[in-house]
Amino acid sequence: MNPGNGGWVIGLSLLAALVLGVFHLPEWAPAWLGWLRPNWLLLVLFFWAIELPHRVGLIAVWILGLLVDVLYAEPLGLNGFVLASVTYVAWRFFERLRMYSVLQQALLVFVLALSAEFLRVFAIGLASERAWGWSVLTSPLVTMCLWPFLFLLLLRIRTGIRVE
Amino acid sequence: MIESSTRVLDPVRGFISSVVSPVYLLAESPYLLSGAIGDVVATQDQLLVRNQQLERQILELSQISQQYVALKSENDRLRGLLGSQGRLPYDVLIAELVGIIPDTNTFQIIIDKGSNAGVKPGLAVLDAQGLFGQVIEVGRFTSRVLLVNDPDHAVPVRVNRNGVRGIAGGTGEVDALVLENVSVTADIVEGDLLETSGLGGRFPPGYPVGTVVSVVVEATSAYAQVLLRPTAALDRSRHVLVVFGPNQQQDPAAQQEQTPPREQLSDQQQYQSQEPTP
Repeated sequence: MNPGNGGWVIGLSLLAALVLGVFHLPEWAPAWLGWLRPNWLLLVLFFWAIELPHRVGLIAVWILGLLVDVLYAEPLGLNGFVLASVTYVAWRFFERLRMYSVLQQALLVFVLALSAEFLRVFAIGLASERAWGWSVLTSPLVTMCLWPFLFLLLLRIRTGIRVE
Repeated sequence: MIESSTRVLDPVRGFISSVVSPVYLLAESPYLLSGAIGDVVATQDQLLVRNQQLERQILELSQISQQYVALKSENDRLRGLLGSQGRLPYDVLIAELVGIIPDTNTFQIIIDKGSNAGVKPGLAVLDAQGLFGQVIEVGRFTSRVLLVNDPDHAVPVRVNRNGVRGIAGGTGEVDALVLENVSVTADIVEGDLLETSGLGGRFPPGYPVGTVVSVVVEATSAYAQVLLRPTAALDRSRHVLVVFGPNQQQDPAAQQEQTPPREQLSDQQQYQSQEPTP
């Protein structure tokens, strides 16, 4: 089995998550839709970290986090920390997590996304007067609801292209 | 946290933003594509109608600009009598919006001009109707703009009618600014136009910021609550102007031959004249 197979799929899915993350709605869309923006990157990264823990390195994830910080205009290092923590949790428990049902995984995703969101609000609040609203809660909820779909989609891609 | 208090990491951010700017382009591509397709498949009738509209608009604007020339020379003469300095027209750079920061609690956009076009942090950004925001971070090909309605943004303004000064801060709402710490006796009424005062030197003076929509005086407060509606179309404009304000003016040699309006200088010329800042 070639251990380096399909690295581009991982890269491409992460890039897609980045693009979805900065995608903005057309002008005619109602503004409250912005509250429902899921944490795409967390979902995709969590999937690869429990499916292929040997392919996701903490340093690489940290660097990816730096890119995200600049993309989202957030304090440098914030997303690196968040994503690296998510990866670490997935690494630590990946055998157990694979045994969980998709719904149990979704619950864990919710907890992770919620803590990530709180950490973000806290770190941003230290530096600026940016207010925070219900999106702290709604965004992780949407992230949780998306997990089953994204999980099945990525699993199909993974088995189809044989990413190892 | 090092970041918020010092500017040590600015080059790092600038470098990373040069690396990630294609991501914005990818995310924006559906809109760019639909715009391009719209241009291609527009019917002849639509084009004709549009053309007529634009011609009419040019006619109106040129009429106004004729008046402007006369008024400008009169203004210069009067200023000369008063012994004060004449105002120079500022350099502008046309930029297009390529991204929006995806956070509901902040208002920042990404434009497609960066340090390679001479953009620097602190420059004012306008749209066709008024003040839009200011540049806060510059990458090689893109820069980040903080909009006037962001809660972290404030701009020194004056009432166009009588020169009363104030500071217009953002509220986090797309259609509202607030005039901070206005005394209840200040002469500000509904409908007043507020323009940048140029105090502080960051924003060039005389650009419209907002119109007063309500003045509420409470008996218990020493300050009046003045709400403004920003004149710029903060959630709709796709094309904006980066203004090289008074502190970022060109070198003196270039200023002496400033007969043509600066807007007509090509990007190339602007870029050259930006470089030799001592």
